[in-house]
Amino acid sequence: MSGFVRRRLLWGSLLLAATLAVISAYATWAGATTRGAYLSGWLLFGLMVLLTGYNWFKKIPYLPLGRSEVWLQFHIYAGLFTGVLFLLHVRGRWPTGWFEIVLTVLYVLVMVSGVLGILISRGWPKRLSARGGEVPFERIPIVRRQLREQAEALALNSVAEARSATIAEFHARRLHAFFAGPQNFLSHVFEIRLPLNALLNELGDLNRFLNEQERKVTAQLVTLVRQKDGLDYQHALQLTLRLWLFIHIPVTYSLMLCALAHIVLVYGFSAGVR
Amino acid sequence: MDTAHFVIEKPERWDSSFDPDMTEADVNRLLEIRPFSEMNSGKFAKRIPLRGILKNDARIRRFKNGEIIVRAGDYGSSAFLVLAGNARVVLDPGLPVSLLGQRKSQHKSLFQIVAQLWTNPRDPEVRTPAELEQDAGVKVGGEFTGVFLQDVPRILDEHLTATMSPGDFFGEIAALSRSARTSTIFAVGDATEMLEIRWQGLRDLLRFDDHLRHHIDRIYRERTLATHLREIPIFRRLNDEQLKRVIEQTQFGTYGDYDWSGDYKRLVKEGTRSPEKETIIAQEGDYPNGVVLIRSGFARLSQKFGHGHRTLNYLSAGSEFGLREIAHNWAHKDTVPFQHSLRVIGYTHVIVVPAPVMEEIVLPTVPRDQLPEFFTPAELAGTEQSESQQKLDAGAKIGPELMEFLTENRYFNGTSTMVIDMERCTRCDDCVRACASANEGNPRFLRHGQTTGRIMVANSCMHCADPVCLIGCPTGAIHRGQTGGEVVVNQATCIGCSICSNNCPYEAIRMVEIREEDGAFMVDKDMKPIVKATKCDLCSDQLGGPACERSCPHGALKRMDMNNLDSFAKWLQR
Repeated sequence: MSGFVRRRLLWGSLLLAATLAVISAYATWAGATTRGAYLSGWLLFGLMVLLTGYNWFKKIPYLPLGRSEVWLQFHIYAGLFTGVLFLLHVRGRWPTGWFEIVLTVLYVLVMVSGVLGILISRGWPKRLSARGGEVPFERIPIVRRQLREQAEALALNSVAEARSATIAEFHARRLHAFFAGPQNFLSHVFEIRLPLNALLNELGDLNRFLNEQERKVTAQLVTLVRQKDGLDYQHALQLTLRLWLFIHIPVTYSLMLCALAHIVLVYGFSAGVR
Repeated sequence: MDTAHFVIEKPERWDSSFDPDMTEADVNRLLEIRPFSEMNSGKFAKRIPLRGILKNDARIRRFKNGEIIVRAGDYGSSAFLVLAGNARVVLDPGLPVSLLGQRKSQHKSLFQIVAQLWTNPRDPEVRTPAELEQDAGVKVGGEFTGVFLQDVPRILDEHLTATMSPGDFFGEIAALSRSARTSTIFAVGDATEMLEIRWQGLRDLLRFDDHLRHHIDRIYRERTLATHLREIPIFRRLNDEQLKRVIEQTQFGTYGDYDWSGDYKRLVKEGTRSPEKETIIAQEGDYPNGVVLIRSGFARLSQKFGHGHRTLNYLSAGSEFGLREIAHNWAHKDTVPFQHSLRVIGYTHVIVVPAPVMEEIVLPTVPRDQLPEFFTPAELAGTEQSESQQKLDAGAKIGPELMEFLTENRYFNGTSTMVIDMERCTRCDDCVRACASANEGNPRFLRHGQTTGRIMVANSCMHCADPVCLIGCPTGAIHRGQTGGEVVVNQATCIGCSICSNNCPYEAIRMVEIREEDGAFMVDKDMKPIVKATKCDLCSDQLGGPACERSCPHGALKRMDMNNLDSFAKWLQR
């Protein structure tokens, strides 16, 4: 059994045990009372504070607080456990008031973005490695500019060399926009090759109007198009790997603020309730 | 916009001599003692005269009874010549750590670590005046306090020791191969006097004149080879007379260049890094004429495969080559040639015990069941693999492509190589940010490097077993930490000459222009910026180890000892 499988089994067992424990405790003595809602609420809020703390933990790596890998595992499984607590806290009902709906929607957004983030974090790196030709994210614009300049130079030079503007016109019509910036984001995310194939087909069709010299130029353009497509693939996947956190973290802080307001409101309107 | 207004002197070689108290009289005295008395001072370069080396790269130290001169496990960058008195070298199994008073590396306190939250400067590469303050050389005598063994008579009684007398030389292998001291040596009596030569001086003494090399080899043969051979199981049963005969016929060999990184970089540039270009110590198919014992450095163990060579493993100090073939030939009528090739990858010292010596003297003393496994016809025909062959074939454990990759790129040299599993790495750069936070805002590595399959070796200092970056540093600013063995740069004595950076085959050292605390660039008298070498120091001053590894949320980054391929294989299959 590999280390990763063992780890999943261990944390999964802990999650299952915690879920069973909290459900049975809730069912036996707290479920029907208001106290149960307070307990599950505080437990949920405490856990959410700990989960939010993971972001702060990453900002102080020099403190000897253990490995981030272990904290991430805790973050994932404790995050899933908040789902159990949340359901117990709302007693499995869809909220009615607008503030409760906002709280629920924020919670669901945090949970869904977190789960999606983990799925992306586990799957995307394998795709990036399998495709090869990796470029560090910060260098992508530089490489893109180089490719654009090479394509432009080929198209421009072909006019003087072949005394024909066919390639230059095609470049202006189809390739200029393609090389100008990141393209086909969703196609890359969902591994769809249609846009690339369409462009390559158009380049292939162009050959019937070209002489031998120009065909050599289109062959070079095909290589550049493939390189640019690979670069866009890197851009799309690396951007997604970063982007999901830009949803997960701000929504988490919004949720925490709303949760704090929720606690103040609950205690503000709980006179006489025990 | 920053303005430059801080002017400091650019340091030079011998600005900081090994011992400022070394006098001309001391140098004159040394020049009358062997091997210096036999050296021809005319052979030395004008810029680096023999007198200059002895005055600036050497120091005379006096030790008291029981005082430790070198400790097993420490990283030292100097060698010693016994001038007067006696010293004892503790033979295997050595002294317990509790007796040795081993020093731990200096960590920041918890408060200093927390204080990094607000003390990290805003500007990159800021140096405080305290960081740039130079030592006036290590003080000898006076307040210098050594480590003493408490009960010398009992130690002499309970442990095997050998005596070292005037004229004996030791520590040169550890100093020149940039490796850990293998034995503890302590002074006996209060009149022990040693000449300590730092490695820069030792290198120049060996480069300009052969006398020291001959002197070292002669002493090694007379004094240390017996100890070394006794530690190898196959030689353990020899009596004194037999051992003496073996030693007389043992040959020494040094292969490759001391500064091998230059050659390696040239091969990389030419794109001709194939095993065929490497110097051969022993070739597959040749008659096995001796057992090769690796004393220091690395060698590639390869086997013919198709029209090329497949790397099975890389051998390091303490490994042997050819014993199986020689033992087989001795016990059988047929003659089995070398089954593998042994090639130099770096700077390698070997000892060769000739086959006739092995057959006549050594092998008859070894019980049959302790001889290496003999070859079977099926193994020789290549249809089956023996247990010995499987043990040797590290490529089978981590994959042949990865094995070639590690060898071709000389990554076997790393003791803390930053390996990234690209199928787990989310490119989040938490490792880079953590590194920057732990180093005052300056990341000390690039999350970029050579890749094979899913493995990337990042451009970060690997804290090499043979750190070639140390070669040529004129002031010794780049050195090994005393107990951890990590390679670190002393910012005070670094003169920014870039030799270490150019020597490093792994692009792990960066030269940076440094700033004052207010952000202004520091400049010298000619208004040129002051440049310093920077690199990963394995977070040696932080609690908890390297921040990069601790901060990786996906367990994708690991600092690996590439000499322990079993643990690397385990990590790959986790």
